[in-house]
Amino acid sequence: MRLVRYTYPTNRSLSPYGSFASPWSGLEGEIDRLFETVLGDYTSPTADRFPVDLYEDKDNLFVRAEVPGVDRSNINVEVVENYLNITAARKSSENGQEQSFSFSRSVAIPESVQPDKVAAQYQDGVLTVTLPKKEEAKPRKVAVSVS
Amino acid sequence: MALLNSLLPSLSRAPGRQAESNGTPGIRPVYEIKETEEAWGLTAHLPGVAKDALTITDEDGLLTLRAQRSWKQPAGWTSLYRESSDLPFELILRHDGAVDADKARAELKDGVLRLSLPKAEARKPRKIAIT
Repeated sequence: MRLVRYTYPTNRSLSPYGSFASPWSGLEGEIDRLFETVLGDYTSPTADRFPVDLYEDKDNLFVRAEVPGVDRSNINVEVVENYLNITAARKSSENGQEQSFSFSRSVAIPESVQPDKVAAQYQDGVLTVTLPKKEEAKPRKVAVSVS
Repeated sequence: MALLNSLLPSLSRAPGRQAESNGTPGIRPVYEIKETEEAWGLTAHLPGVAKDALTITDEDGLLTLRAQRSWKQPAGWTSLYRESSDLPFELILRHDGAVDADKARAELKDGVLRLSLPKAEARKPRKIAIT
């Protein structure tokens, strides 16, 4: 008995797919997807979560969400109590059938934000929400004299 | 580990990263390829990328997509929590001449790239007549 290394069969010459698919690409794709959903990489086209970043400067809080391929009219941004809810629906029409794929995310925001002055912009697939801080929450210098 | 890598080839590829010869590693974007009789359609999600930051090249049967993120964090901003990455995007697909690059069309809208890659005439299946 001899141990010989197994060589994967490649379908290059006869496959109509050319080199985009190999017999293992289905399995490889599934394994990649399994790893990526666990590790939270958001790298699957059907992921229902999108990456969100939080920033602040002294006057505002900023939330940036990566939501590519969505129409502005299909993005909803709401401030409800202490949460910012971002809901987006991506519509695609294939073969005459319309498919809608929606995803949403809730971000907890601190109380010190003025809810009626919140503004949002969508550019190049990134949604930027600006939440102005309340006056009393802005950092202020208070001079204290030491007697 | 080496035995496992040879059994499951995907384990030997770091997920989401591809080696780049220029130094900065790139992240593989979310992408999907659909095939029709005439062409392949590639849809790639490139959030935060503007048209001028994206280059698509086809050389020697290798289609390379590279994109830099166009947004830079303004100086006064402090980041509190980050989930997205600042790394540029990179996608390399080998097609070995099955694609006619001269007829390829690309459109970048709202961070989504739609690339239509027509199949090369010489590689299309053809019927052989019997006399």
